[in-house]
Amino acid sequence: MSNRESDGKDHELHRFLREAISRRGFLARTALGAGGMALGGSFLASCGGKEGASKAGEAGAGGGKTLRVSNWPLYIDKQTVPDFEKATGIKVEYTEDINDNNEFFAKIDEPLKRNQSIDRDIIVLTDWMAGRLIRLGYVAPLDDSKFPNKANLVDTVKDVSFDAGRKYSVPWLSGMTAIGYNPKKTKRELTSVNDIFDPKFKGQVTMLTEMRDTVGLVMLGMGKDPAAVTLADAKAACAKIKKARESGQIRKFTGNDYAEDLAAGNIAVAFAWSGDIQGLSADNPDLKWIAPNEGAMLYSDNMMIPKTSDRQTEAMAWINYVYDPKHSAQIVAGAPYVSAAKGTSEELAKIAPDLAKSPLVNPPDAWRAKLHVFRALSDEEETEFNRIFQDAIGA
Amino acid sequence: MAGAGSASERQNRLAPYLLVAPGILWLLVFFVLPIVTLAQTSVAVPDGPWYEAFRKALSGYGTHFLRSFEYAISATLMALVLGYPLAYVIAFRGGKLKNLLLGLVILPFFTTFLVRTFAWKTILNDSGPAASVLRELHLLSPDGRLLDTTMAVLGGLTYNFVPFMILPIYVSLEKIDRRLVEAAEDLYCSPARAFFKVVLPLSLPGVFAGSLLTFIPAAGDFINAQLLGSPNQQMIGTVIQNQFLEVRDYPLAASLSFVLMIVITLGVLAYARVLGTEDLA
Repeated sequence: MSNRESDGKDHELHRFLREAISRRGFLARTALGAGGMALGGSFLASCGGKEGASKAGEAGAGGGKTLRVSNWPLYIDKQTVPDFEKATGIKVEYTEDINDNNEFFAKIDEPLKRNQSIDRDIIVLTDWMAGRLIRLGYVAPLDDSKFPNKANLVDTVKDVSFDAGRKYSVPWLSGMTAIGYNPKKTKRELTSVNDIFDPKFKGQVTMLTEMRDTVGLVMLGMGKDPAAVTLADAKAACAKIKKARESGQIRKFTGNDYAEDLAAGNIAVAFAWSGDIQGLSADNPDLKWIAPNEGAMLYSDNMMIPKTSDRQTEAMAWINYVYDPKHSAQIVAGAPYVSAAKGTSEELAKIAPDLAKSPLVNPPDAWRAKLHVFRALSDEEETEFNRIFQDAIGA
Repeated sequence: MAGAGSASERQNRLAPYLLVAPGILWLLVFFVLPIVTLAQTSVAVPDGPWYEAFRKALSGYGTHFLRSFEYAISATLMALVLGYPLAYVIAFRGGKLKNLLLGLVILPFFTTFLVRTFAWKTILNDSGPAASVLRELHLLSPDGRLLDTTMAVLGGLTYNFVPFMILPIYVSLEKIDRRLVEAAEDLYCSPARAFFKVVLPLSLPGVFAGSLLTFIPAAGDFINAQLLGSPNQQMIGTVIQNQFLEVRDYPLAASLSFVLMIVITLGVLAYARVLGTEDLA
């Protein structure tokens, strides 16, 4: 993760974000247009809110309010939540209900636009989406006075383009997207992104519904750099994806749920997130995750507090807690991704020495050099890229 | 005297309106209002003419529409083939078990549709029981699969909507005066002929209602295609969901919904004309 903002890329990101911000007036106008849609609005709002949940959990163990954390599946160990509850007296309702950035955004967009509660106090979204939420003013600033462990933030992510000085967001974990596979089904070692297009695996591969991950990886396979993606590149990559989908090569486009199919032996090869496979390999020791020759995609997911949360103190306590290297090491032990808290590796070496040596948790420099980030897109580009991609995946 | 009479007369005239008022109100709030907002959304195109979204909906999604209707019609036929005999047995041969059997038909509704469809994912899994048995019997090639195929989607649709077929057919069969069947037999009708001349025509309203209750939700369904199908089996419901939630092109999603609704309405009208069931109970 630490190299995700290499200088060149950072400049590019900056430029694009500046352009995106200057388009804010446009954004606000389209937002108003969409706001007129009572039906879409109330429908989406009803998806976003977890009615009743807030009332049920109003009073926590310590007399305070229950902290409601929304995160991605397979992204935490089992001990951190109970330990946090014990240490702070704050009750936690931890939900793994984020499976796709866009889908989650669609759920929270309407209520946040209307300044309504989304019944969540911590949400965890990928860089580009975090950037969008910050731009739209949907998240509350982090209270540094309640965040002494901010000092543990690794230097490379202290100042990212979408959140200078980390005023609104801090990384939860970072990971890499590349190839996960089941050697029993592939019957050979895989080394290239393009192995996913091998006709031998027809009907046994999945790709991700995250446009940046899937298009980025396919581009790498085509020898293109996702950090400099153009519309033509995206179109070419999507044409390739569409062809593979229509031929029956691709069995499914998934969120985290590819993991079940890989574990069940339904698929042989998947575009996969680095930590998932490690998490699954306890029961399926054969499964492998590789960083292919052409490179891998790098992303990080960021904790944010929705502006409508009435539990800022509790949320800050959580953020501060997980930035203690002892605690972040415990999380990484259960979800082998890269932490942004200094000292995590040292602490991890004490509790899980083998894992501490794993490249998934501590990518070696040779790997880091191969990691790519998808260029920040303007809102118009975002819509256009998404449209092409949705067409390619047949939905 | 005359005044009082006319007042009660007015009351009598008002009574039917008062009786339908709750229904009308319900329709207004839960049907007309959403339809109006949906219509507004479908023409709220940020750039281009108002019909831009409809143009896109009609030009770009032909395969999805065709596929949806094909799947919905197949699922309706399968539900009819499975549901009619079952409804017949319950209505005519159910005896004391009638209520129990009807209860069993409704039993799946006690768990949600989503959970049941997920269960099919496990059952149809490549290494699951169904696939292993079929492979043993050589009905499925060694690298063949059940999950993520057209058959899985059709099976899922049929499974999920078959109770909506069984119940109306059961009701119309149950209503049939048994003496009509006896009369037919007295007039030297064979049991088969009595069925086709008497029972079947009298149960057509049930078949009509059942096939609508199966076809309409099946045509707009997005869960079965998403969970049990591959990307080449996605139906128009999936596209609408994706346009609403992923691409967030609300006008396109709304106009796709409209096109779907209009096509279904026209289809239903044509079907009603063919089946000629003006006395739908």
